[in-house]
Amino acid sequence: MALNVDLYDAILNGNAKKAHAATEAAIAAGVEPMALIQESMVPAMDEVGRLFECEEYFVPELLLAGRAMKGAMELLKPLLTAAGQKMAVRVVIGTVKGDLHDIGKNIVASMLEGSGFEVIDLGTDVSPENFVAAVEQRKPHVVCMSALLTVTMPAMKLTIDALQTAGLRTQVKVLIGGAPVTHQYAKEIGADGYSENANGAVGLVKNLLAGEAA
Amino acid sequence: MTCDLVRIRLEPLSVELKLPLGSSLIAALAAHGVEFPCGGMGECSGCQVRVLSGSLLVTEADSATLTPDQLAKGWRLACQARAHESLVLECGQWRMQILADDNPSDPIPKVGALATMVAPSIPAVISRERAGDQSASSSRGLAVAIDLGTTTIAAQLIDASGNVLAVETALNPQAAFGSDVMSRIRAALEGQDLTTPIRVALGQIVARLARGRASQVAEVLLVGNTVMHHLFGSLDVEPLAHVPFQSPNLAEQRFTPRDLGWDLPSDCVVRFARCIGGFIGSDILAGIVAAGIALGDDLTALVDLGTNGEIAIGNRHGIVCASTAAGPAFEAGSIRMGMRAVTGAIAYVALVDGTLRPTVLGDGAPRGICGSGLVDAVAAGLRSGSILANGRIADGSKNFPIALPVVLYQSDIRELQLAKGAIAAGFRLLLKRLGAQVSSLHAIHLAGAFGNYVQIESALRIGLLEAPHSVIHAAGNTALRGAKMLLLAREEPQLPPIEHVSLAADPAFQDEFAACMTFPENL
Ligand code: B12
Ligand code: FES
Repeated sequence: MALNVDLYDAILNGNAKKAHAATEAAIAAGVEPMALIQESMVPAMDEVGRLFECEEYFVPELLLAGRAMKGAMELLKPLLTAAGQKMAVRVVIGTVKGDLHDIGKNIVASMLEGSGFEVIDLGTDVSPENFVAAVEQRKPHVVCMSALLTVTMPAMKLTIDALQTAGLRTQVKVLIGGAPVTHQYAKEIGADGYSENANGAVGLVKNLLAGEAA
Repeated sequence: MTCDLVRIRLEPLSVELKLPLGSSLIAALAAHGVEFPCGGMGECSGCQVRVLSGSLLVTEADSATLTPDQLAKGWRLACQARAHESLVLECGQWRMQILADDNPSDPIPKVGALATMVAPSIPAVISRERAGDQSASSSRGLAVAIDLGTTTIAAQLIDASGNVLAVETALNPQAAFGSDVMSRIRAALEGQDLTTPIRVALGQIVARLARGRASQVAEVLLVGNTVMHHLFGSLDVEPLAHVPFQSPNLAEQRFTPRDLGWDLPSDCVVRFARCIGGFIGSDILAGIVAAGIALGDDLTALVDLGTNGEIAIGNRHGIVCASTAAGPAFEAGSIRMGMRAVTGAIAYVALVDGTLRPTVLGDGAPRGICGSGLVDAVAAGLRSGSILANGRIADGSKNFPIALPVVLYQSDIRELQLAKGAIAAGFRLLLKRLGAQVSSLHAIHLAGAFGNYVQIESALRIGLLEAPHSVIHAAGNTALRGAKMLLLAREEPQLPPIEHVSLAADPAFQDEFAACMTFPENL
């Protein structure tokens, strides 16, 4: 296992410039893109998640680390495509209809991406129909929904119902989150999982898919 | 079929209730004024009761929100509890409220100060002749101004010269449906009646204010945010439940006392002033009037450090405003040991020779911390190096002792970072919208109770406000003062266009918010 210390440190410290430079240098040196992701980026975001979990990092650090990771990923993506390589797990994520709060959703998206999943971000105010369309077209393994308002939480249920009606519910795992959402609510509306933070979201995706494989 | 009843006694007021066996406590307790801040979702732990006799099961939500120690002492969330036997309960909120009585706090501007503020604008509207209303009003000289807040209500009876003749304050009875506007909207959409309770409560307040002279009341003016405006007027709140949060019904609402069931002369005019846009209502409109923003060429700002975090900045040529949705941290709502500014609350914290010197309201031992204490404590922690600029407690211990048993947890500091980051980011973006710099600000008026209590020095240290100390002033209840000025003005004051800026639509918000969440390095 070859850890690229420069890239690892740059992501951990949220330094986008250094992350970009380290990635360019690694590519120039002929490092396999997939190896760079799995052996340096994923461990870095893992550590970011751990630091957040033990309350050392907070939202600003998560956003900065996410940005550094994203910058590096943008350089690697075209190379992966060219090599015909794909991430094993695909996630569709969005903030539900009626809601424009996206900071938490963005953090979850970058933690997932940084954990080596392909993430398709539908943005904010995403209607149940648009979630359904994305599931049809992109065939994700997981759908993540975020809501920050008590009044937009019911849109999560509507989306799950719409997936059901479209006959797609069994093809995807549905995860929900956002400050007012609870474990209880997730159970009530038939979601497959809930986590109170972005780090937990990564663990959930891993567990759910592991459970499925088993 | 028989219906078994259980008896509940609520201490320390010794209120006796009877409930059907196995039923939820919410309705019965709410009827006696107990608040359910998160609407009974089991999330805020604001509805705690302690079992003094009998027993209540520990629910999932109890274990998630209360500490093992609290559970062992018998504390439970009232909103989750079901009564399976007769009980004696201690109501956490009442404990504070009763103690609060011997420690009065006055959110209302002093009468003298008010008189000087409105003095130039005599003679009063109360006696002005309205088109099509030449009636008796000129022979009557009294009016009522009401600030209808999401949490509290403040009302005053004034005469034609602006003298305050009577004052009433109360809690908003809609609090039984949740503490923030969103919970109220949800309750209304679920078919609950939030209009009747507030009309009844305000009717009683007006009756108390005007006792013995109701016949002289010519006008009542209410101000409040858009949700209060809609719920009072029985307007549909559905448009306020989703993007873009714009209701078609923002105009002034007029009522007769008979519409409302209020005991006032039939030709008395009751008005709820117009909203500005989004959730920003006439309380901010009145605040703009009270702060004199529209009067001069100098840039002046009004900041309401409440849950909605409204900010208005401008001058006589134009005003921009936004709501930054700070959340309840300044009211210590989301703080583990947070409480209102009543007896037992740490209200101030000074740093003297490297040690924390807390000031506890009343004489007793510290029981919790209120908003001003929280801001002070974090400012002191930053000064002493116990709290780092990124918000971490330096020694990694995850809690910062203020005055035992009161400590700040790491998560409390995070909550404060979110709230103050939202306000500061909103302020920066509004200044940017005006193309202005902090240095061109003539004054910043802090509205609301928290604005009155918070130490400006500390607010600056944590980066909640970013401006020279000399331009920042505590302005008290600007909504109520503005409402009175509107009542007394000879004619509607001419206001420049007020632009409501939706921060949600601004892609720059996230970066600004993240930047503002960290604390200033050295100040
Ligand atoms: C920032 C903010 C805003 C910004 C949003 C900017 C943006 N682009 O997102 C602005 C100022 C625009 C805004 C506007 C409004 N807001 Co606002 N806002 C906040 C604030 C201050 C912080 C929210 C936040 O970003 N937190 C940080 C992120 C990182 O946390 P998070 O979102 O919870 O995400 C974490 C977890 O929940 C989890 N997670 C999130 N999503 C998911 C998804 C999955 C699948 C999983 C597993 C996990 C997960 O992981 C994340 C990281 O760990 C809160 C109050 C507060 N102090 O919390 C109010 C708050 C959420 N807003 C509120 C309100 C009411 C509004 C408005 C409706 C009204 C207003 N006053 O203006 C508007 C509506 C906007 C809209 N159209 O949707 C209320 C909601 C109350 C309620 N009961 O519903 C709050 C609580 C404030 C309050 N008044 O009490 N807001
Ligand atoms: S926890 Fe009971 S009302 Fe919030």
